[in-house]
Amino acid sequence: MADLVVGISDLRVSGNPADSMITYALGSCIAVAVYDPAAKVGGLLHYMLPDSTLDAARAKDTPAMFADTGIPLLFKSCYKMGADKKRMVVKVAGGASILDESNFFRIGQKNIMAMRKLFWSNNILIDAEDTGKNVNRTVRLDLSTGKVYIKRAGGQPEEL
Amino acid sequence: MKINKRILKSIKTLPPFPVTIQKVMALAGDPDSSLTELAAVIRLDQAITANILRICNSAYFGLRRPVDNVSDAIMHMGKKNVLRAVVAAGLSRYFRTTKGYDVKGGDLWEHAVAVALMSQICAARISRPDDPRLFTAGVLHDIGKMVMGEFVQEAWQKIQELTERQKYSFLEAEQEVLGVNHAELGGEIALIWKFPDEILKAIAFHHRPDLLADGDAVPWIVYLSNQVCHVMGIGVGTDALAYRAVGDVAGRFQLKQRDLEDMMAHLHKSLQDARELVSIVSGPGKKGRG
Repeated sequence: MADLVVGISDLRVSGNPADSMITYALGSCIAVAVYDPAAKVGGLLHYMLPDSTLDAARAKDTPAMFADTGIPLLFKSCYKMGADKKRMVVKVAGGASILDESNFFRIGQKNIMAMRKLFWSNNILIDAEDTGKNVNRTVRLDLSTGKVYIKRAGGQPEEL
Repeated sequence: MKINKRILKSIKTLPPFPVTIQKVMALAGDPDSSLTELAAVIRLDQAITANILRICNSAYFGLRRPVDNVSDAIMHMGKKNVLRAVVAAGLSRYFRTTKGYDVKGGDLWEHAVAVALMSQICAARISRPDDPRLFTAGVLHDIGKMVMGEFVQEAWQKIQELTERQKYSFLEAEQEVLGVNHAELGGEIALIWKFPDEILKAIAFHHRPDLLADGDAVPWIVYLSNQVCHVMGIGVGTDALAYRAVGDVAGRFQLKQRDLEDMMAHLHKSLQDARELVSIVSGPGKKGRG
């Protein structure tokens, strides 16, 4: 079984049921895991920032850095492998903050808002979500079952 | 307070601060020193020499051609960059192993480098001169964890009880349970190592720059850079987000949310360019964080 590591500002897709994908220690960043149970195709995105208008050149070079370029790329990459929008199961995690956050460090909240807006305007429902709070999360997507597991810092993995 | 005494005692067993780095710091700060002198000092330290060429050839320093000896490296990099490379090569030895924070040595080193890089990105953003103290303070801000780890591990249940059930920050829990926190302990180490006062303060107050009366920007820059790296999840452990935001750092430096986001994007690139620098302490092979 191959463990595909998804780095920060990175995404992976696969149609191999023997694969699983993992992304470590999400803070304010967000992991989006998608899975088509019929095509057995899934993908995992780890984006860092809400809005690609921050830096168009960087968005072109590293689209997985931003919600608004990374999420569409994740879905399109899955379609290419035979996934269908209607069947996609969507699960998200991350968007955490530090304690006593001032507005300045609320990047996690902005990341959550950007994602929700994007899904809403594209008629996509979020099937499961573990976002916000001040916990650090590691996310795993198992491609043989489509199950997503969240491990909070210091805890055991739990299914989302 | 028995543990507190034990902790303070155990910092005395830390290896002394590398003489090479001390000398390089002095030479780099002296406008009359020559590059030949600098090269001679570095060459005496085999461990540093071995790492420094690897570091110099990383994309981060942007040399046009790869270098294969210390003299060439110094000539092409300039004194400031040599100092950075020596600090990184020489200090990485303290970050090989640690206990207690649920991180590997390689993770803490990645975090140390990330904070050092972010400090420079931050200084550039707020139009401050590129201060060599920032890089050193950034790399060393968590040096106290290297000693605290063992004691944090021992007292793990009590600390977790306070952070999870009683809304303590990790720093407050360390203080309550062990009588000292990792930042303060880092300051004690800096004192033993005879560091300049500004670096000592930046280490000792990296979570609480608001407690410092004077207006030096260095501790605030290290604080901001560290908070950003914690928020992004770079090389952090169980304590990742269990720290408080203090003071109005955005107002102090006139930074907007967009500036912060842009700094995060820059750090992502900087860390990629500095891969060799990060990899001198081998980690568990985790690459994705945030």
